[in-house]
Amino acid sequence: MSLLFRKMILAVLAGAALLLSVLPQPAIAHGERATEPYIRTRTIHWFDVTWSTDKMKVNDTVTVQGKFRLMTDWPDAVSKPDLVFLSNGSPGASLTRVESYINGMPAQQSTKNLEIGRDYDFKLVMKGREPGKWHLHPVMNIYGAGAIVGPGGWVTVTGNAADFKAPVTTMHGTKIDDLQTFGVARVQMWQAGYALIAVAWLLWWLRRPLLISRWRVLEKGREDLLVTRTDDKVAAGLLVLVLLVVIVGYTKIKAEFPQLVPLQGGSLYTPPLQEAPNAVAIKLKRAEYDVPGRSMRLNIEMTNNTDQPLSVGEFTTANLRFINKKLPAAVAAIDPTYPQDLIPGNGLIVDGSAPLAPGETRLVMLEATDAAWELERLVSFLSNVDSRTGGLIFFYDPKGNRYISEVYGAILPVFKKTI
Amino acid sequence: MDGDNHEKVLAMTANDQAVLDVAEMSPKIANWSRTFDILIVIVAAFLIWAVSHIGFLLLGGDWDFFIDWKDRQYWVLITPVVTLMMAAAFQAIFWHLFRLPFGATASVLLFLLGVWIVRYHSWQGLAFFPISLVVPATCLMGALALDAILVLTRSWLVTAVFGGTLFGLMFFPSNWIYLAPYFQPVEHMGQMTSLADLIGYTFPRSGTPEYIRIIERGTLRTFQDSAMWVSAFFAAFLCIFTYMIFWWIGIKACTIKYIAIGSKFKDAYAANVNAGGKAA
Repeated sequence: MSLLFRKMILAVLAGAALLLSVLPQPAIAHGERATEPYIRTRTIHWFDVTWSTDKMKVNDTVTVQGKFRLMTDWPDAVSKPDLVFLSNGSPGASLTRVESYINGMPAQQSTKNLEIGRDYDFKLVMKGREPGKWHLHPVMNIYGAGAIVGPGGWVTVTGNAADFKAPVTTMHGTKIDDLQTFGVARVQMWQAGYALIAVAWLLWWLRRPLLISRWRVLEKGREDLLVTRTDDKVAAGLLVLVLLVVIVGYTKIKAEFPQLVPLQGGSLYTPPLQEAPNAVAIKLKRAEYDVPGRSMRLNIEMTNNTDQPLSVGEFTTANLRFINKKLPAAVAAIDPTYPQDLIPGNGLIVDGSAPLAPGETRLVMLEATDAAWELERLVSFLSNVDSRTGGLIFFYDPKGNRYISEVYGAILPVFKKTI
Repeated sequence: MDGDNHEKVLAMTANDQAVLDVAEMSPKIANWSRTFDILIVIVAAFLIWAVSHIGFLLLGGDWDFFIDWKDRQYWVLITPVVTLMMAAAFQAIFWHLFRLPFGATASVLLFLLGVWIVRYHSWQGLAFFPISLVVPATCLMGALALDAILVLTRSWLVTAVFGGTLFGLMFFPSNWIYLAPYFQPVEHMGQMTSLADLIGYTFPRSGTPEYIRIIERGTLRTFQDSAMWVSAFFAAFLCIFTYMIFWWIGIKACTIKYIAIGSKFKDAYAANVNAGGKAA
């Protein structure tokens, strides 16, 4: 291989590396499958989540809203939701946040003391900024535990990014055209001014004979040649200039903006939604995950505490919704905007079709079979120190009213059906 | 030595010629020395840039990254103290070896240049963050004062006391000149907030919840509107000692230390030379 050819290959590789580092490479996924299954199945269960649209233009908004349940069987290894922040999962600031609420209370800052075993509703209003197809999740950040990601829906933003604007008016009445660019020119102008002074100072010294010559002169004890009286005068002038710029600049800005506020750092409290009566008492008698069959089987003792016959309509865990397709009310409850990849096609198999009569206690077998257990990386409880699982079961009465119960307990990995 | 020749080569002042004379450099050697200067300055610039940048990222990153981290307690305190570390070390190296009083300015200026490149390439280019969210602060005015005081006093101790104080004290006012507008009050969802908070809220960082900000959360309430200056004075106090420590580290980093060798090595060395090998 000739030297020229080798050089050409090296040049091409170097060029490619430079291009890869310079060209923007947006992230698509948000690591929702990377969280441990015991966190995803036993902390927060998101339900009734809807996206107001899946297509919008730059500057249009999409609202993601729904509810979440903080599971009673909260894992010991996960910090309790004493301080949380409702956020969104989307690539960078491709979508901007307009408003966010927990139980109707503003969630711009963190929320404290959420109660385990209770439900909350949430609302996120996001605005299109960068054209593209973006995955948009609700996310609950829990202090000490990290982000617990809700279901993600795809939202397509069309139009021109240059059209995006985020105008705002301050409490003093100053109109700001766009938060994206606000103040940047002022920062750059001042810092460029500072940099000019710094460059002048560097050039004052760099223009002279530098390293070897100065080192040799210093070795010979002639320091007086290296820093002269002229340098002293320049340094004194520089010091005065720096002090003047800072003092005058600070005084002027204080006069221009006399009333400013510090960063806001308080947290809010919001009470949970009203607690629903315990419609169906649940005892998980045995749960197993059939490894080769990719099937979770739950043997549950259910007691109907209502005066209506109730049927099992759905089992949801880790954003997966296993629907009992034999129950029209459960099928009707699926919002068309809910991500289809999170609704396993095999649905939920409930042994026996008879509803649970009022006051009746019965053992019911639920079977949720799908490759989604593997795809969503939910089977690592096989190697967990705490081999438990959890989820929500939705019951429906003949009028279509819904009742929610938690189910949780130990789970066994098996290679052959035992129940 | 021929002063005219030097003048042709470098367009020097009389003082520069005197330096070359004392250094015993012929015009030819002076020319090569200048080429060497240029090469080393370029390489050193990248080195200073990288070290200053990495040092800050490791110890003070978030306060410089985001506008809604620039609070009146930690930002005012941590940023100058951390920035001063590398600035003092490089100032010590250049002063100790060459009596060049620009180490602090070079460190902070190159760091600022690097920060702006990263802001546009990575923060805006890769993550879609607007520049208003990620405007950096700078300690450049403090660095200039630090270098100037070193020239005027020729003393690292006096520079530590007065220069360190100015470095810490000037950080807040020299940056407030252009960052103050970000702290105008604005109403959002029925609450008062600052524009800086609102910018941070509007342009979400998915992995950065609000509570993770290490900002003042009311603990400086006693000082009311003077909280910034309380932090600035404390920063100035800490900068004195930070300067001393990192000046010492800088001096150590550029000091050659000869280690006495033992008799075994001496014997092996002599045997190698006697066998016809070259001394290393």
